[in-house]
Amino acid sequence: MTPSKANWLKKASITTISLWLAIFVFIPTLLVIATSFLRVGENNFVIFSFTLDNYQKILDPVFFHVFFASCYLALITTFVCLLIGYPFAYLLTQFSPNIRRILLLLVIIPFWTSSLIRIYAIKILLLQIERSLRFFYPDVSILYTEMAVLIGLIYTMLPFMILPLFSTMEKLDRRLIEAAQDLGATPRQTFMRIILPLTIPGIIAGSMLVFLPVLGLFYVTDLLGGAKNIVIGNLIKNQFLVARNWPFASAASVFVIILMAMLIFVYIKSINRFGGSRHEKVQ
Amino acid sequence: MYKWIITLLTLLFLIGCDSKPKEVLNVYNWSEYMPEDVIEQFEKETGIKVYYSTYDSNEAMYAKVKLLESGGYYDIVVPSAYFIDRLRKEQLLHKLDHNKLKNWKNLDPLFLNKEHDPNNSYSIPYLWGTSGIAVNTQRIKDPITKWQDLWNPKFKNKVLLLNDVRDTFAMTLTLLGYSINTKDEQHIKEAYEKLKELKNNVRVFNSESPKQPFINQEVEIGMIYNGEAVMAQRENNNIKYIYPQEGVILWVDNLAILKNAKNLQNAYKFVDFLLRPEIAKRICEEIGYASPNKEAKQLLEEKIRNNTAIYPSKEIIEKATIPTDIGDTIRIYQKYWEKLKSEN
Amino acid sequence: MKKFSKYLYLFVVFVFLYIPIFTLILYSFNKSTYSVAWKGWTWSWYTKLLANDSLIETAIHSLILAATSSTLATIIGTLTAIAIFRYRFFGKKLLSGLIYIVMMSPDIVMAISLLVLFLLIKIELGFWTLLLSHITFCLPFVIITLQARLSQLNKHLIEAAEDLGANEYQTLRYVLVPVLFPAIAAGWLLSFTLSMDDVIISFFVTGPQFEILPLKIYSLVRLGVKPEVNALCTIMFIFTFFVVMVSQFLIKEK
Repeated sequence: MTPSKANWLKKASITTISLWLAIFVFIPTLLVIATSFLRVGENNFVIFSFTLDNYQKILDPVFFHVFFASCYLALITTFVCLLIGYPFAYLLTQFSPNIRRILLLLVIIPFWTSSLIRIYAIKILLLQIERSLRFFYPDVSILYTEMAVLIGLIYTMLPFMILPLFSTMEKLDRRLIEAAQDLGATPRQTFMRIILPLTIPGIIAGSMLVFLPVLGLFYVTDLLGGAKNIVIGNLIKNQFLVARNWPFASAASVFVIILMAMLIFVYIKSINRFGGSRHEKVQ
Repeated sequence: MYKWIITLLTLLFLIGCDSKPKEVLNVYNWSEYMPEDVIEQFEKETGIKVYYSTYDSNEAMYAKVKLLESGGYYDIVVPSAYFIDRLRKEQLLHKLDHNKLKNWKNLDPLFLNKEHDPNNSYSIPYLWGTSGIAVNTQRIKDPITKWQDLWNPKFKNKVLLLNDVRDTFAMTLTLLGYSINTKDEQHIKEAYEKLKELKNNVRVFNSESPKQPFINQEVEIGMIYNGEAVMAQRENNNIKYIYPQEGVILWVDNLAILKNAKNLQNAYKFVDFLLRPEIAKRICEEIGYASPNKEAKQLLEEKIRNNTAIYPSKEIIEKATIPTDIGDTIRIYQKYWEKLKSEN
Repeated sequence: MKKFSKYLYLFVVFVFLYIPIFTLILYSFNKSTYSVAWKGWTWSWYTKLLANDSLIETAIHSLILAATSSTLATIIGTLTAIAIFRYRFFGKKLLSGLIYIVMMSPDIVMAISLLVLFLLIKIELGFWTLLLSHITFCLPFVIITLQARLSQLNKHLIEAAEDLGANEYQTLRYVLVPVLFPAIAAGWLLSFTLSMDDVIISFFVTGPQFEILPLKIYSLVRLGVKPEVNALCTIMFIFTFFVVMVSQFLIKEK
């Protein structure tokens, strides 16, 4: 083994990704940040003069209301996805590798058809359920309620929870579980002290892949919620397109990114502490 | 593994270098807003390859066209009147030479020389329609004649509003007796207060396809575009389209050539082709909205021509108003719209 | 009994995942154009679809784009996750931060800023700009999925390989990739899903001559979702289903 050859791959991968992220993420992000300090023009999207007004406007109660309402929806969605997805992913790992692989593919294939069309299908289903329920309860509403929105969001995001969970559970060291059982641990103890701490990376990854995209999924609230409320993705999109206020929209998205980064930081810290302490007890 | 990657890259290369036909035309339009056989006929007659790409809102189209201003990516766009107004003012459109359009004479003067484009120097009306009230007469027996009827407390959770800030405010402003293109914040605020009273009645905001909630009987009354109402009527005969007394809102979608269009001559050929009576008639029949082409109207079946939901009387058209560009005031509208939606 | 309840749970979740698909398949045979009411069986939407060349062409565009972008995103993402996991280098924290920024940025922000970028560096809009953008927004999904798997990895495994004289490439090829395979596969599948479904970013970064399916479908809704679209989704579902299942059996045969 020659050292030059050893480093070739390392250098190549670090260079590729650094360049990629620099060009396609870093520069665009700088553009957005810069825009958030500019003024909006009558006939141009921006005027090159510095201002802090856009950040001041964020303090508007409407913006906060929309932001927290969206976070609330996203949190519930993430939590329910975790609740459904965790046992599901765990049960999948109990099958032989071949069947496991096929089952996993079966989970994802429905998601390769347009999500918009699938949301329409859910709308039809909810409408039919609502109709049959109305024979018994004439006043019941299912479609265009928060419940309908949540069903749509959970449905759309479920595989984004299942797949990362599955990939961390798949090679879970069975010997640890068997050892715990041999030592007389109850199923509950085995789960809380062995399985859960070992799968925490999967929980973090899955929660992230569900929580962050949900904030931007506006067509679910539009179609299943009857567009009676707006979510943050909607608000920012309309500020860009309808109101043509790019500086404000940029400021809003910078602000949202910072808040979410803080949320994620706290989440990862707390869940790791939880997982870590449990883990140590076992040892 | 390597073999696969190489195959993949070669394939990519082939797609990237797709041999381009010489004469092309890039049309940017709503999806399915032009029958495919019409485009095919044009291609066959002229040998020009038409690339038809789609957008889903005027606003998104505007943002993209403006950013791509100097690129010459698109030749023809089909914006609604108020975006013609804006694009024209920002000098993004090509000034038309009407002599190059032999079929210009077919257009109905009723739709020409409007406020959004004086003398039609930049735009050619393509299809038009109105927004009025649709009502399911099987469910609602009271006579419905005006916008104010939507506010009737009886219709709690039964009303549909269009999910479009301009359309819904235009309706409320008409009802209050203000101009639908008002720039006065006081008027907009009053309209917002009025809409807030309506929110309890609203079951759904929908502007993509308002006919569906009517057909599926999710709602019983509400705002609708006339073409949608006609389609709803075909599925359910009880759905009626009503021109409210306070006045209706007229919308016109227009063909326009972009200033930096690369295929200018082809664009003229295409526009002139679309103005032929028999082509305009086919578009009207397939899409379901009225054509501003008066020769085409004569060719239509009597059933369609005399359907007042599609072709209202001249008085109604003359009294109706077209939304024009309101510049920065849109931000005030948007502010109240967000407020309306975020409050419960 | 316990086993039964396990199977029941799996079954119920699968039903939840598949019910909308079955609904749209069913409605692709409904005679009524816009209504949810059932008005009898018909094949006519399928014959209409076959006559609609542009819809089929855009579907093919989408499949090609999704396959390439998810494959490239998976390769780049895997290398990145491994590099971040194994090596120390300048700017590593910033790099990880940027990955999260991609996920946190609202679509519209990414869409417009990428379009501005492409205009600045003067790349012709079309397939290539779509490919670059799709790889970019798929990357974090691959990387986060892989990082979860990597954090469980026994570092001694790599050390053992190195002690046995494996070079970087060999370590990657014979140790890391097999261990990471489930996560790599998951990353690819998620990327493919995202790429098949993206509307806003694709709308802004594509040119007039390369249209993809999600844009078309999104724009179609203005005139109401026609059963034709359901028919197209049905065909695509059945097609992808068979391709995947056949490839699975071929792998198994080996």
